[in-house]
Amino acid sequence: MLQYLVILLDDTSVAYCHADNPLKEHNLTPLETLKKGILFGMKQNLMIQYVFPNYELPTAYAEVIESIDNVKIYPIGCKPVTSIEDGNDIDVEVANDVPEKVEAKNLVLRLTFSEMLKQKNEIAKLFVLGARVNLCIIDVEQFAEEQIETYKQVLNEWNTTLLNLYKQGKSPQFNLLTDRIMLEKMHNCEAGVNNITLAPNGKFYLCPAFYYDEQMKVFNQLNHHNPSSDNSVGDLEKGLDIPNPQLLHLDHAPLCRNCDAYQCRRCIWLNRRLTWDLNTPSRQQCVMAHIERNASRALLNDIRKVSKFMPEIDIKEINYLDPFEVRKEF
Amino acid sequence: MTIIKAQQESWQSGMAKNITFIVTKDCQLACKYCYLVGKNVKERMPWDVAKTFIDYVLDHETDPEFAEESVVWDFIGGEPFLEIELIDKICDYIKTELFRRNHHWFNSYRFSFSTNGINYHEKAVQDFIQKNLDHLSIGITIDGTEKKHDLNRVYKITEKGSYQDVVKNIPLWLEQFPGSGTKVTISSVDIPYITESVLHLYSLGIHEVNINVVFEDVWQEGDDLKFEEQLMQLADAIIDGGYYQDYACSFFSEHIGKPMNLERDNHNWCGAGKMLSVDAAGNLYPCTRFAQYSLRDKDAWIIGNIHDGIDKNKLRPFLTLDLTTQSPQKCIECEVASGCAWCQGENYDAAKTHTVFQRATAICLMHKARVRANNYYWNKLYRKLELEDLREQYEAKKREVKPKIC
Ligand code: SF4
Ligand code: SF4
Repeated sequence: MLQYLVILLDDTSVAYCHADNPLKEHNLTPLETLKKGILFGMKQNLMIQYVFPNYELPTAYAEVIESIDNVKIYPIGCKPVTSIEDGNDIDVEVANDVPEKVEAKNLVLRLTFSEMLKQKNEIAKLFVLGARVNLCIIDVEQFAEEQIETYKQVLNEWNTTLLNLYKQGKSPQFNLLTDRIMLEKMHNCEAGVNNITLAPNGKFYLCPAFYYDEQMKVFNQLNHHNPSSDNSVGDLEKGLDIPNPQLLHLDHAPLCRNCDAYQCRRCIWLNRRLTWDLNTPSRQQCVMAHIERNASRALLNDIRKVSKFMPEIDIKEINYLDPFEVRKEF
Repeated sequence: MTIIKAQQESWQSGMAKNITFIVTKDCQLACKYCYLVGKNVKERMPWDVAKTFIDYVLDHETDPEFAEESVVWDFIGGEPFLEIELIDKICDYIKTELFRRNHHWFNSYRFSFSTNGINYHEKAVQDFIQKNLDHLSIGITIDGTEKKHDLNRVYKITEKGSYQDVVKNIPLWLEQFPGSGTKVTISSVDIPYITESVLHLYSLGIHEVNINVVFEDVWQEGDDLKFEEQLMQLADAIIDGGYYQDYACSFFSEHIGKPMNLERDNHNWCGAGKMLSVDAAGNLYPCTRFAQYSLRDKDAWIIGNIHDGIDKNKLRPFLTLDLTTQSPQKCIECEVASGCAWCQGENYDAAKTHTVFQRATAICLMHKARVRANNYYWNKLYRKLELEDLREQYEAKKREVKPKIC
């Protein structure tokens, strides 16, 4: 069920997930579109998540933006038009480099795999700051078999830091390692299922990445016949119209529905780029998510040696990293 | 309608890897219904593409993609025999390499062709056949009666019908490949000719007719009833004429028209993804139906090329496809679903989004009509056999055509 409406306030609104935002020209959502978007959200009972660009918006926007309860996603160091001091616990700062301090309660840290390795110690220091850290690796498609051991190792090192914090009675939150130890079912991105994105052109997209692709005309490179085909799934006038919506749901994803890497992003945009089918994940995504899952299992076991932690969670030992290898074959 | 020799050898029914060379996109004919929208004279496979491809496949003997016990090397076009010299060279190279490498496909391979039959008798083709006879399957395309055949299967420039040039090669073909079966494909305009065409094929000495309706959305209102009527006529002709003893037609099967057991039968229908095709440019496809020249609305689904190999991510959707994920609810609940087939390429081409997970159901009414006629056939046949006290005898030696849809 839809719960969130993501509103991109500008073409250059900050990228906060796997896809970079390649759009460089300011193109602010017209105030009328914004108002209609908010109204749509209210009528559909959706929580609004505003995504801010890296510049200050005209003051006329402040009032409209604050006309409804909201979450703000903004580039670190850039104050959105409204005061973020009185922002709520769910606002999100987005950084493309490891910051020294974090003001919001949530940080999205977007790094390439090699940047992550280089800055692993600085990343570990973030765990003590108290904010939830969401590390998003932005070059998943480059992840190679030779990097499996490296990834295991760095997660293992972070586990040591996290374990120490748990021993001190703290509850660090780091998506790659502490989410899985608290999840009993899938908790993925669910673009198009529990959230939908409104772009400055007044159209809906499964997520911002699909809007970027359309604007950059990369759709055609993705092997689709009609280069002018847009990626939109409805607009503010006619409402939502998602083709083949069933394929966005977990029960229509043959690999994911049998998987227990519950913390996995299950990114449908990556799926489309790498396997050409929205419901089918790439090997890279699955292997990375399983390395995280297994490291989470190790962390859980270590925490349990010192405290009775989440007794209802059971992460089984498995001998594969890619569910494709153990798929049901007919 | 097309006739293609249907090989029934066990090694071909699922145990074999199917590898297809699209050797040329050229053909002598310009058939009016040809689905190959992108046919042309330019794209002929160069030898170095074929060789690099074979080397790639054989170099990867131990990969799971090539683990099958045996292999069918398929050659299609256009008209493949236009490239007989290239094909001969390819086959020689395959045989030599299988031997040199002591490959597990050595002695477990087959070369397979679908041809329009026009140059079947020519020396180069015949020499090739003689050389490879023990490892060959060849299907010749013919459209039933002369009138029916020449309506569609005409030469490119003169528009002259090709029936006479093809039918003269049928005896030679049957002599070289005794017991050959056929594959017939029915489109909307073919419906009135089904009975006469099947009987004509029988009269040419072809004992097995494997017949399907096309998966594309070509059907007109009322086609299902006309189809049912034709199949009932055909049922009468087969039963009253006694053909059921020695001839078979896949339209009539005791296994179709039942609800699906979703636990047991949740498999995909076609082998796309388990097969591999290569074109003249060296691009690789999960099946030829995903090459550009056979797609109407979508871009080719290229899974790699002969230099970089297969991008295994691009195969994952195909290898995780099952019946329930791609089927609409009406098919999951359908009372007569068994035997209702689909083609993954057509599903992709017709889908609303870029996916192989949306099953096209343009054949829905046609399948239901077939089921009704099929029920009629078996009820009538078994009643007749019972009255003649011949049912047991019939069941002991009845021949069935295994459905072969592409
Ligand atoms: S690990 Fe793979 S199968 Fe599991 S949820 Fe993630 S993408 Fe799906
Ligand atoms: S297409 Fe029609 S006949 Fe075939 S399974 Fe679906 S509902 Fe049944």
